[in-house]
Amino acid sequence: MNKSYAVLPCNGLDKCSGSISKEVAEMLSENGESEIICPVFYRIAETRYNKLATEKPLLVIDGCATRCASKLAVEKNLKISEKINITDEAKHNNIILGKSLRLNENELKLAKIIFEKLTTEEKLDTAAKDIFDFPMDINYEVYKKDKFVFRVPTNEGFYFNENDVWVYIIGNKARIGVTDYVQKSLSDIMYFTPASIGNEVEQFEDAGSIESGKAVFEIISPVSGRITAINNKIIESPELINQNPYEQGWIMEMELSDFINDMELLHDFESYFPVLKRKVDEFHG
Amino acid sequence: MSDKQVGVISCSGEECLGGTLSRLATRKVMENLRSKEVVTLCLPLYIAGGDEEREFAREYPVISVDGCDKCCAKRATVKYSNEVKDSINLSEIFSQEMMLANIVSGRDLKEEHYEMADQVADEICRKVDQILAE
Repeated sequence: MNKSYAVLPCNGLDKCSGSISKEVAEMLSENGESEIICPVFYRIAETRYNKLATEKPLLVIDGCATRCASKLAVEKNLKISEKINITDEAKHNNIILGKSLRLNENELKLAKIIFEKLTTEEKLDTAAKDIFDFPMDINYEVYKKDKFVFRVPTNEGFYFNENDVWVYIIGNKARIGVTDYVQKSLSDIMYFTPASIGNEVEQFEDAGSIESGKAVFEIISPVSGRITAINNKIIESPELINQNPYEQGWIMEMELSDFINDMELLHDFESYFPVLKRKVDEFHG
Repeated sequence: MSDKQVGVISCSGEECLGGTLSRLATRKVMENLRSKEVVTLCLPLYIAGGDEEREFAREYPVISVDGCDKCCAKRATVKYSNEVKDSINLSEIFSQEMMLANIVSGRDLKEEHYEMADQVADEICRKVDQILAE
């Protein structure tokens, strides 16, 4: 059975991506029990949609980087369950968006790809969780600066990139998250925008973002491969990343495509710890 | 051809046929009928606080195109920028009952709906030409 959402599309009338957001919303509504929130009317008469927006998981569909739908959700203090950005999805699927608001074959194909991803994510997510054996006990080395404490896992299998994103490897599977340095620098994390399950990601390519009142942090993937799961708990409660970014605050899981080569550009604990200390001294000095 | 430009701010509403027809008609004007004379303003962005859209609506004449009597586009323009130069309400051209019909997907539209959108597009063009002639 398809997942059922309260769908808040941007419905933009300026770019093709706005038309695709509308198309995806309509596909979800026509092929299941999802219901659409009109972004314009919601601002004018919010009581019309308040019940719907809180009863069903909220799916926000932004067309472009202006993120009008996300901003509206924030303004109305809604809890976002999932977010999709059409422009990002087009990039990941190598589809070039045209200028016309009349959708061409490729743009309709993109709408269908997004629709299918949204309605099959749950199955993929569960499958991935079943096979990933993350260690129960993580050992940490700690670096203290003033009142701040920065932890780095010392367990074998953890690697780090220069962008302060960690990856834990088991066989050809990986779990990924950000380090303490990131979460402390951002302070209270309020939003997590995930990459889509099923996307192929290259090493050092963007794979979602997290956002606090201070800044947006693009999650730079430390490895290449296919995204197999997203930690849905941090979509609902991004503060879990602040509580512990290595355990309950993990971000996604991937099936690796070329770890032997990827590893050459990563740090293990021994080489990352001095990097972390230098960054902390510079940033919090 | 005049250098003067006219803004068109259209309902891009969900839920009703009026929103879908407004969107189709505005798109046709923007892409085909008056592509050089018309600038469309994205209503969701405009309401969300788009500075460029709001500034344009303060400086240039704007036609609002609303799908039903709620008149979201007209009201928003008046609230955030200026009085509209002219306005179109589809429920006055057709009927409120028809405009509130639950047909929103382009895939459900029939020939008669496209003819209605064409009629609205012609009405937008008529108003654009009138403003440019002033």
